[in-house]
Amino acid sequence: MSLNVKRWIVAALSFLLLVALLLVAYRQSERKLIEKREIPIVTSESKSCVNCHKNDSPSLVKEWEESNHAKVGIGCAECHSAKEGEIDAWKHEGTYISALVTPLDCAQCHEKEYKEFANSPHARAGEIYAGLDNVLAEKVEGMPGNNAASVNGCVQCHGSIIKFERDEKGKVLRIGPQRQPSIDPATWPNSGMGRLNPDGSKGSCHACHSRHAFQAKVARSPETCGKCHMGPEHPQLEIYNESKHGIAFDANRGRMDLDKRGDWVLGRDYSAAPTCATCHISSFLSAQGLIEGGSHDVGRRISWTLLPVVSTKMNRVIYKDGYKEDYPEAKELPEIGDKVMTKEYVVENEKLVSKQVPRVVEDIMTWDDKRENMIGVCLNCHNDTFVDNFYEQFDNLVSLYNDKFAKPAQDIMNKLEADGIIDPKVPFQKNVQWAFWELWHFEGRRARQGASMMGPNYAQWSGMYEVSKQFYTKFLPSVIEAAAEKGPKMEGKYRKIVAEYLSRPEHKWIEGKSPEEK
Amino acid sequence: MKSKLPTREKSGLLHKLNEMIPVNWEILKEAGAEPVPHHLQKWWFCLGGTVLYLFIIQVITGIALTFYYVPSTNEAYQSVARITQEVRFGWFIRSLNKWSANFLIVAVMLHMLRVYFTGAYRHPRQINWLIGFLLFCLMLGFGFTGYSLIYEQQSFWGATVATNLVQSLPLLGPMLAYFMRGGAEVGANTLTRFFVLHVGVLPTLSFLLIFLHILLIRLHGVTELYFEGEVVSEEERFFRFIPDHITSELMVGVLLLYFLTILALIFPAGLGAPANPGVTPTHIKPEWYFYFNYRVLKLASLHVSVVATLFFGVVIFFWPFIEEFLQKKFRVPDVLSIIIGIVGFLVFLLFTVWESFASQL
Repeated sequence: MSLNVKRWIVAALSFLLLVALLLVAYRQSERKLIEKREIPIVTSESKSCVNCHKNDSPSLVKEWEESNHAKVGIGCAECHSAKEGEIDAWKHEGTYISALVTPLDCAQCHEKEYKEFANSPHARAGEIYAGLDNVLAEKVEGMPGNNAASVNGCVQCHGSIIKFERDEKGKVLRIGPQRQPSIDPATWPNSGMGRLNPDGSKGSCHACHSRHAFQAKVARSPETCGKCHMGPEHPQLEIYNESKHGIAFDANRGRMDLDKRGDWVLGRDYSAAPTCATCHISSFLSAQGLIEGGSHDVGRRISWTLLPVVSTKMNRVIYKDGYKEDYPEAKELPEIGDKVMTKEYVVENEKLVSKQVPRVVEDIMTWDDKRENMIGVCLNCHNDTFVDNFYEQFDNLVSLYNDKFAKPAQDIMNKLEADGIIDPKVPFQKNVQWAFWELWHFEGRRARQGASMMGPNYAQWSGMYEVSKQFYTKFLPSVIEAAAEKGPKMEGKYRKIVAEYLSRPEHKWIEGKSPEEK
Repeated sequence: MKSKLPTREKSGLLHKLNEMIPVNWEILKEAGAEPVPHHLQKWWFCLGGTVLYLFIIQVITGIALTFYYVPSTNEAYQSVARITQEVRFGWFIRSLNKWSANFLIVAVMLHMLRVYFTGAYRHPRQINWLIGFLLFCLMLGFGFTGYSLIYEQQSFWGATVATNLVQSLPLLGPMLAYFMRGGAEVGANTLTRFFVLHVGVLPTLSFLLIFLHILLIRLHGVTELYFEGEVVSEEERFFRFIPDHITSELMVGVLLLYFLTILALIFPAGLGAPANPGVTPTHIKPEWYFYFNYRVLKLASLHVSVVATLFFGVVIFFWPFIEEFLQKKFRVPDVLSIIIGIVGFLVFLLFTVWESFASQL
């Protein structure tokens, strides 16, 4: 090969190097520009929405422009579009849309998250409407024709059935020139976690992720959970703030990388503190260096249920269609492959009804498996002994509450009911019913949850101390009081029952010190 | 005792100086008057000189930066920020350092291309090819350690990825990586080590190898290239090193400084977020000259990337000898090295551009 040809080869390769360098430089500067301010991509379907709403609701559009959705071209139309004939749809500027964005809408892209969430305890938060809480809000607190306590309170956290205003014939009322369906103001706006949507889906993604900006940091911040998980009956946010975890978070918020795109992995992306999401939802680095966990099913790591009168460890049965059911520890578990009748709540004609659905068992997650899931998170920062001993401390407190207060109180309530002293259909008629309610629903939960999340004051002063005070000074006296209303014979019977309980070793303190202690 | 007074003509200042520095100036003068082949009148044939010129800029700006840089995890980033924002001309010196470093790598590549494709590495100049290649590796080492010293998020995580690459080296990898980092992770010890490498070890080795490189060029003489159909008279075959070649090199130097200044003014060296070992950035990218390795890493694995780099490095390093062996043993034609060179370099370019356009990890 002649030197002249070689010279041209060198020239050509040098030129290509220059081209390559320019391409790299172009790409780098482009990336830097994008990183500085990523430009929202407005699809042709969303263009007209943005044009009008920029004036009508400028902050809303601005928030969306800042979102990660905007950067990848997910705009108004992608989430709000609806089909003709859907109950919540109306033709707006030539396109069928809906104000409601349900988990099924989000599932168009986030299918995995939708499936995880749809079978989680969160998605069932709206099924409380057969419970005592509802009686309190609607009957005790509310009045005929005014359900405001429930609407402003319960619904905003638990969600409710989305209903529509109807005419005499039962047809959905449509208003304005665009014939917009009139949503019952008692049911919407609500961003309740277990909202029961017209399309049959349960939940609302924006309960945690908020609307339009969809910032990851919102869902990862404890304050988001604290919208509902706070107050006298389940003060998880306050307990968290009191705990070492909350203190570390508060001091290190800037190091938490809360706004990280994609997986947010404990041990890889942050280490300063866990938030609620860390322990109950997010991924973590295992001892083998693998990314574990990460599920929108908040029940996967919880071994106890701390909600009912008497706490129990919960096993979980997972069915072939993804449906999950919690089995109290004492309830016999089916075998994998068994066909069992399951109870499922669905909305029919804007009413919540329970249905029996046969399902095939695919897997069983015992309470121990669930605890192991949680321990995987703990081990990112603590060693085996630390974690095992913590669980022993926690278990002991739950047992103490169960055995000393909850089980006796429940037993006495059962007896009162059997003797016709209290009517379960009128749950807040008598003082004893109020006292019992506060014993387990307020103080009892506080104590158990305080221990579960390492909040010492909630475990003790706002917890077990209050449980004891309630039990001895309000519940037991009100048992006698209620029995006395039925006559001296019944009063005598219950004085004896109470005396029997108080003669047990754990209540003997009431008689003063034993001879050995003196 | 009779004093040995110098004679009048020997008492001149120059003579005195010559006595103090007993060097034969005539030989030096002759050495400086090395005849340079005429094709070197075109600057693209003497990119080695450009590399040296850029290296000198690196030394000067590097020393200036060292006046203010503090190699500790707590202060490194702050000191770079101070250089960039507070120190007079600090941003300019830093930008010059950065841009001339990039130019230097490009110039080395172009220089190597020229030497490779014109066959100037062949006997008897094999040793100089080896030295040249080692110098190229040193320059990459400068680039890598210098980038890491900034101690911003990108450079911190770049160092983490790179030391993980080293860790994957067969046999000595883990030990070497541990030694580089001064521990299991990139941290305070790594920073001081990289600093010592960047301002001490690498420059010393570079000076030594540059000296040997030039010495060998001088001893061998610059390869004469004969182009077909080119008629050059005997007087024009060579031209003088001093002052002709030196002058043209200086002119190229001034032009380069002119371009570097423009680049420093328009695209000054920036500063990202400070290093945070607890937070992995979404985008981790090394400097462009490591994109090839990074692409292989993503396509295959850490291990394959390291072994492939090592393999290609060794092949390029020993190419003069490998080619000689192949030609002797299998009578492979001259054109083989040309084809290998073109394919190899195109793959390098392709991977580099591919990586820059590729999505993140």
